[in-house]
This record gives sequence, structure tokens and C-alpha cells, in this order.
Amino acid sequence: MRDFRNLDQLQFSPSRGAMTVVVGENGSGKTSLIEAIGYLSTLRSFRGSPREALVRRGSDQAWIRAELADGTRRITVEIELTPGRRDRVLLNRQRVTRSEDLLDVFQVTVFTPDDLVLVKGAPEYRRDYLDEVLEASSSRFGVLRRNVERVLRQRNTLLRQANGRTSSEVIATLEVWDRQLAAAGEALVTAREALVTELAPHVAAAFRRLTRLPDPLELSYRRSYDGTLGEALVAARDEDLRRGVTTMGPQRDDLFLASAALDARSRLSQGQQRAATLALRLAAHEVVTERRGNRPVLLLDDAFSELDDAATAGLLGELPDGQAILTTAGALPVGSHPASVRRLASGVLT
Amino acid sequence: MIVEVKEKTVLCSACFNVTVSPLCPICADPRRDATQLCVVEDPRDIVAVERTREFRGRYHVLGGALSPIEGVGPEQLRVRELLARIEADEVAEVILCTNPNLEGDATAMYLARLLRPLGVKVTRIASGLPVGGDLEYADELTLGRALEGRREVDA
Ligand SMILES: [Zn+2]
Repeated sequence: MRDFRNLDQLQFSPSRGAMTVVVGENGSGKTSLIEAIGYLSTLRSFRGSPREALVRRGSDQAWIRAELADGTRRITVEIELTPGRRDRVLLNRQRVTRSEDLLDVFQVTVFTPDDLVLVKGAPEYRRDYLDEVLEASSSRFGVLRRNVERVLRQRNTLLRQANGRTSSEVIATLEVWDRQLAAAGEALVTAREALVTELAPHVAAAFRRLTRLPDPLELSYRRSYDGTLGEALVAARDEDLRRGVTTMGPQRDDLFLASAALDARSRLSQGQQRAATLALRLAAHEVVTERRGNRPVLLLDDAFSELDDAATAGLLGELPDGQAILTTAGALPVGSHPASVRRLASGVLT
Repeated sequence: MIVEVKEKTVLCSACFNVTVSPLCPICADPRRDATQLCVVEDPRDIVAVERTREFRGRYHVLGGALSPIEGVGPEQLRVRELLARIEADEVAEVILCTNPNLEGDATAMYLARLLRPLGVKVTRIASGLPVGGDLEYADELTLGRALEGRREVDA
């Protein structure tokens, strides 16, 4: 890669099918390395950074190239990232235009200390979690998610333009966007609910092994509306017109986490909440593996920094086989047996 | 060169296609079936549909698709002109040939609801075109099949 974040030029060959640890101080570029590998899959920063932030200061383009091996199949991916322009993506030297084309050949599961927002944070973090797992598991969900976002933008813009007016013209166009949102929104909600049903046993099992708590961690999907979304949108129309925003739909739903029938946020200790986030990531990894039929690459960015030795051992014990890339600022995680250890200092890998 | 082209072209007074005479060649051709009207977003879509050689009727160019984000509502499109044509001419079928994306679908749905009370048959080109795409980039075989497989819209 070249000119990605603070990395001038870097070449990295992680061990195949095994664990590689990258040791580097904060600011050494180890998170950037993980971010670049993640970008190869999703064309997004897992930290949610804007694209401009990914290009090294003083340069006008970042460049990432990777060789992927899947059995005997070899795939090269090349990305040119220029702020203000669409990414230029080549798959085996052929130009591709849909981000799903990359997700179809390469998936990652990312663990970071920031994952605690999955338990503690606003519902949007949990919705994003579900949608990202859906996207990683099938390309059609990427299209669906974008459609829902686009219809919502159209409908909310129309609501604001109406400015409280309910002329027949406004109602006639609103009904059209309602139908579009009802169709796409309902499809997304149904997909999320099916995913939650699939994730739940994996989450419970991983959480039990990580914490040894008698009470299971339970997942439930909470819709923001009753009945069909189409009916709910009609019922909420006056309210939506008054507020200039869509108050029902997938953008208002939540994934509820509970232990012993109580909200996980109040019921679980800080350490247990962290275990819950690890369980969510591990479960996502399993579900994507099942749905895709091949294992995502595990990326753990400083994921052990907030864990005590017992929790570290627990997570290492839970990590499935396959390729894993870990970064750490200090010593190797206790009990880890990486196939290779690399050191990164000031953007130079040794 | 572009300046010269701009000075010479006008919009067809009937269908709003780009042309050099008051009526475009399609509207001026008496062999074209006036009972079938194909509604498209853009003059370039006419070129795409013509390439399929599947359609012998006439066209109506809306000048875009519904999109509040871009400030486009029904008033910004040539909807009133479409209604006037349907009332004046002997139109029996309106084929909604807007792009197979969210905005194109929304526009088709809006028009279907508006037109059905007028007693005309309203159809939409079959799905199967690349989703989210533009008509003008669809190959003629696919677009031809989509036209042939058009279905009546339930508004
Ligand atoms: Zn004409």
C-alpha cells in the first residue's frame, strides 16, 4: 500500500491460515494497516472515518493492492482512493463498479476496543452492526440497505419541503414514497429479524463461555412500529409532516440485549459488557462463515488492550481457526501463539 | 461545434424529444401508432427504446424523475402535458418506461395512480433490467425483453 493514512509505503505478508501479530506503539500505523485491509472488503473505514482522512497528508491518492488466496484460486484487488472521486477498483485487473463485488470475494470480521458502543451506545450502532453482517453475508443486502437509506432521504426531504402542508399534491407524492419505503423497509426489517434469530444461539454460547455467567445473554429485535410498515407510515403521517422526519421504520428499530430479562446495560458489569461485544463479533463471524461458506479474515485492532488476562485467554480460546491479524501496542497477548510476529515503528515494518 | 448543435435543436412540441424541426421524426411519422405512448425520463431513453425495434408507438419525455432531494416534484416534470395528450389523442396504453431505480419506480407509481382513473391501460416495463441502472445503458436485447414483458400496474 502507498499513502494510506500515515503510511508512506508498506508491504505486508501475513501468515496464511494462521495468526500474525503486529506490534507497534500508538501512532506507529498499526491501526491504519488494519483499516486498509478492512477497506479491501467494504470500501469503508471500520472507524467510520471520511475518505479524505484516509489519504496521507501531502498526497492526492492512496493506493492499496492485495493478493488473496482462496484454496488454489488467486485474486488480486487494487484500489485507488482519491478524495472527491469514486474509488477506482480493479479485481483481477478488471474494473468493477459495485462495492458488493469486493465483498463477494473478501470478508473481514473486525474487533476493536471501540466495539463497546455495541452494548453501551445508541441504537444506530446496533442497527449498523446488523446491517454490516447482512452486507457481509450477501451482496443483495448491500443494495437493499442503500435503497432504504435513499428512500428515507427522499421522504424526509419531501416532508420538510411540505412544511406542514397537506395539499393533495403533497399527499399523492408522499404516498408513492411511503409505498417504496414500506417495501424496502419491510424487507430490511425481515432480514434483520432472521439474522438475529441466527445470531442469538452463537452469541449466547460465546458469552457463556467467556463469562461463565448462569444467565444467558439474550437478543431480541425491537421494531419501531406495529403491524405492517405501510400501515404504520399512514398512521404516522400527520406526526411525520409536523416534525419533518420519518418516525417509523428500520431507521428507528433497535437490537435489544438482555440478561435475566433486564437491559444488559444496567445488568452487566463493564467487563461483562465487553464480553457481550466480543460475543456479538464472534457470532457475526460464525454466521457470515455459514452463509458464505468461507471464513472472513479476523482483524483484531488493539482488541486486548482493555481486557484482563482471563478475558484475553477467553477471547483467544474462542477465536476460530483461519487467518487472523492482531495488533498490539505492548506485549503479545498472554497465551497467544502467533505463527509470525512483526514490528511496526514509524510506518516501517520489520 | 457544440454551440452550433445547441442553436439548431429544439424540443418536439408534442413529445419533447430533441429534434431539429417543430415535430420530431417519430411524431411526424404517420405510420407510428398513436394509441401507444411510451413515457421516458430523458430523450436519450428514446434512442435506447428505438434500438430494440420492439416499439412502434409514440413517446413522451418527462424531463426527469421524482426526486425531492433534487427538488423535482410532479410540477417540475411534464405531467400536465402528458395528461393533455392522453385526453386529446386516442391513447389506449401508456407504457411507463422510467429508469429501473427508486426514483424511476416512484415516478411510474405516481403516474399510474394519476392515469388509471382516465380509463387508459397503464403498463410498466418488466423488471429484469439491471437494478439501479439507467435505460440508456441497458442493451437492446434486455430492454426489448423488458418491453415485451411489460405488465399492467396495480396502483
Ligand atoms: Zn415528438
